[in-house]
Amino acid sequence: MTTMLIRRPGVAELHPVRTRRRWTVTKVALGVSVPVLFVLAWQLSAVFEWVDPYLYPPPSRLGPALVTLWEEGKLVDATVTSVRRIILGYLLGAGAGVVVGFLMGMSRALRAALEPFSWAWYTVPKLALLPIFLTIFGFGDTSVVVLIAVTVYFFVWISVMSAVMAVPAGYREAALMLRANSWEMFRQVLLPAALPEIFVGLRIAAGVSVLILVGIEFVISDQGLGYLIEQGRTLLLLEQSYVGILLVALVGYLFALLVKFIGRLFIRWTDEDNAIIPS
Amino acid sequence: MDHAGHPASPGATDGGPPAAPRITVREVTRSFVTNGRSAVHALGPLDLSIGDAEFLCVVGPSGCGKSTLLKIIAGLLAPSSGEVAIDVSGDHRIPIAMVFQDYGIYPWKTVRANVELGLRLSGRPPTERREIADDWLSRLGLADFADVYPGALSGGMRQRVSIARALAIDPEVLLMDEPFAALDAQLREVLQEELLTIWQARRRTVVFVTHSLEEALLLGDRVVVMSARPGRIIADITVPFERPRSSEVRTDPLFAKLRGELWTGLHSEVVAQFDAGKDRR
Repeated sequence: MTTMLIRRPGVAELHPVRTRRRWTVTKVALGVSVPVLFVLAWQLSAVFEWVDPYLYPPPSRLGPALVTLWEEGKLVDATVTSVRRIILGYLLGAGAGVVVGFLMGMSRALRAALEPFSWAWYTVPKLALLPIFLTIFGFGDTSVVVLIAVTVYFFVWISVMSAVMAVPAGYREAALMLRANSWEMFRQVLLPAALPEIFVGLRIAAGVSVLILVGIEFVISDQGLGYLIEQGRTLLLLEQSYVGILLVALVGYLFALLVKFIGRLFIRWTDEDNAIIPS
Repeated sequence: MDHAGHPASPGATDGGPPAAPRITVREVTRSFVTNGRSAVHALGPLDLSIGDAEFLCVVGPSGCGKSTLLKIIAGLLAPSSGEVAIDVSGDHRIPIAMVFQDYGIYPWKTVRANVELGLRLSGRPPTERREIADDWLSRLGLADFADVYPGALSGGMRQRVSIARALAIDPEVLLMDEPFAALDAQLREVLQEELLTIWQARRRTVVFVTHSLEEALLLGDRVVVMSARPGRIIADITVPFERPRSSEVRTDPLFAKLRGELWTGLHSEVVAQFDAGKDRR
C-alpha cells in the first residue's frame, strides 16, 4: 500500500490578507459571543424559572437597578473610589515588587537574606493584616491602598525575581565580555530578557489587586464597589449586588487588558503567541 | 502505485533518477506576509524530483530559502503556490523525520528519552524502544550518556542525539537542515563519516541542506544549487563518486574540480544576496 503525502497551499497561503482579516473578525466574534451566551442563558433561567428570579435576579432587572444607582450617584462614586484605590495600590505594590525583585534576582546575598522571610510573609492572607493597617493608617483610603500594595507586591516580587534568575547564562556572559557593569547588565540584558515573564506576573497581580480590593471593601464597608455589593446583600437589594459584581468583573478585565497592552508596547521582539499545535 | 497521476513536470531537473520519484516538488513558491501588507518573495518557483533512496544535497547562499523548502517538504509550512507530493508506503506512523539545525531536542528529557520519543509516539512497547534507542546511542557514541540530560552535553553531542532520534524511527524520508552547521570542523568530519556509513548501510531518501560544498559532494548522490532570494535551482549535478564512499574522496582531483564548478555558479549568488542585504539599510 502506498500513500501520497501532498503539500499544497492552504487558504492562509492563497489569500493571506483576507485570512488575516477574517481571523481578526472571528477572534472578536468568539470573544464577544461567550459572554453574550452566558447572559442569554442567565436570562432564560429566569424566564423559565429554573431558578427563583427573586433570589437570582436576571439581566433584564439589572438595567433599571443600574439606572437607579447611576441617578443616585452611587455608581460613579463607587467605581471612582474603587478604581482610584486599585491604581494607587497597584502602582505602589508593583513598583516596589519590580525593584526588590530585580535586586534579589541580581544579588545572591540579598536573596539569601530575604527569601525565607519574604516567602513566609507571602503566605499570610493580607486581609488578616487589615486590623493592623487600620490602626496605623486609620479608617479609609490609605489603609485600603496599602493593603492592596502589599498584596500586589508579593506577586510581582516573585515573578520578577524568578524571571531575572532564569535569564540564560549566554546572554549574561556576552554582556560581561562587553564589559557591562551591574547597571548596564540590568538595563541592556536582564530587564528586556525578563520583561515577558514580568508582564505575566503584572497581569496576574492586576487581577489579584481587584480581588483584594473587593475583600477589603466588604470588611470595612465604607465606599467602593465591594461596599455596593455588600450593601445590596444586607439590604436585600440583590440587583445592586449583581450590578456591583458585573462592574468588578469589567474593571478587572479592563485593568488586565491595559497591563497587557502596555506590555505589548515594550515587548516588540516576540510574537504574541507562537502556538503551533497539531492540526 | 499511484505515480501515474503525478508525472514529473516539464521544469523538473534532468539528471534525476529514472524510477518514479519519492518526492516531487512542482512549481513551489513561498512568500511571507509581514505586518499585514508587504510580502517577501522567499522561494521559487522551483521544480525538483527526488528519487527513492537518493541522497540529495541542497546548497545555496544564506537566506535563499533552503530551509523554507525543507519545511515545506516536511509539512511544517505550506507553499504559497505549487505542490509537493511525497510517496510514503503508508504503514509508518512517522514516515518523515527531520533533524533541525538547532537540534530541537528537549532539555527535560534524558538523552535516551529524547531518542525514544518518536518510538513512544508511534506506540512501540517500552522494552523494544529502549533496545532501539540504546542501539542508536551506541552507534553514535553516546552510550555512556543515555541517562544524562542534554543540558550537560556539548553541541556536537546534542546534535548526535537529534540524529539518533530521527534515525531511531527508521523513517522513509530523512530531512536534515544544516545539521552540522554549528559544529567544529573536526567533529563535523567525524559526523559526516558516521552519517555516510549509516546511510550506506540502510539507504533512505535524504534531503540534506548545507552551506558546505565539500559536505554536499561527500555525502550526496546529487547536489542542487539554489540562487539568491527568491531561491531557484540554478545547477543540478550528479556526484560521480562510487558508493560506498569515505572521506577519502576529498583527495580525488575530480572533487576539487567539481567544488570549483559549483563555487563558480554559487559565488555570484552569494554576492547578490550579500549586496541585497547591504542595500536594505
